[in-house]
Amino acid sequence: MPREDRIACHVIDIADAALDPRDAIAFVSDDAFGGIDVFIGRVRTRSQGRQCVGIHYDMFDPLALAVFRRAAEASIEAHDPQARCYIAHAKGKLAVGDLAVVVAFASAHRDAAFRGCRQAIEAVKHQAPIWKQEHFSDGGAAWSDGTPLVAADAATGREGA
Amino acid sequence: MNITLQLFGRFRDFADAPELHLELPGVTTTAEFRAAFEAWARAHWPDAAIALLQASAIATDTTLLHPRTPLPADGRLALLPPVSGG
Repeated sequence: MPREDRIACHVIDIADAALDPRDAIAFVSDDAFGGIDVFIGRVRTRSQGRQCVGIHYDMFDPLALAVFRRAAEASIEAHDPQARCYIAHAKGKLAVGDLAVVVAFASAHRDAAFRGCRQAIEAVKHQAPIWKQEHFSDGGAAWSDGTPLVAADAATGREGA
Repeated sequence: MNITLQLFGRFRDFADAPELHLELPGVTTTAEFRAAFEAWARAHWPDAAIALLQASAIATDTTLLHPRTPLPADGRLALLPPVSGG
């Protein structure tokens, strides 16, 4: 099966639907695979020492989907060329307990599944154009500081500001 | 060049709309756009926005733009502050 058919990437507006890990597991499942690793990111109740009531996720959808796809391709390339990978991230106003991100990676064996999933979620966290604004029980709100994005030079591959 | 700049994250707090429409004569590369836009921002936004701008990337719908990269013909760009997904 072509690699592009073994990758699924989604941005889901929480106003339309919630993320469902069963969708991720169903997509990556294959009788040839004995290992599926699933990462679920969930809105937690405390952040920066403050009581959190929710997170607003802002997202640049088209580039986020392109980054998800490149992350999935890189994970498959690095850990198992036959693997399957699913990446979905929510946007909008999420409450404590809502799911923010689901990544699943399936391979013949568990080691590649764990490593592929880890590589994919780290790329989503550090490279995808997504921003979170935490809302606190005292009524305050704060954008997270985050990780700067740096473009590579198409000619040299070197990064530039 | 006519530029449409999409704003995200904390930058949304500095503007009334999710996009800025700018006329920046003589701007053809990403580095030239960054310099021209920083001058615009110093005239319209607070100091906190300038610091954030210096830590931000410029992108199209499909890729981040290196300083030497020519701007897209449609002038449609996105200003991306440091990211915090997951």
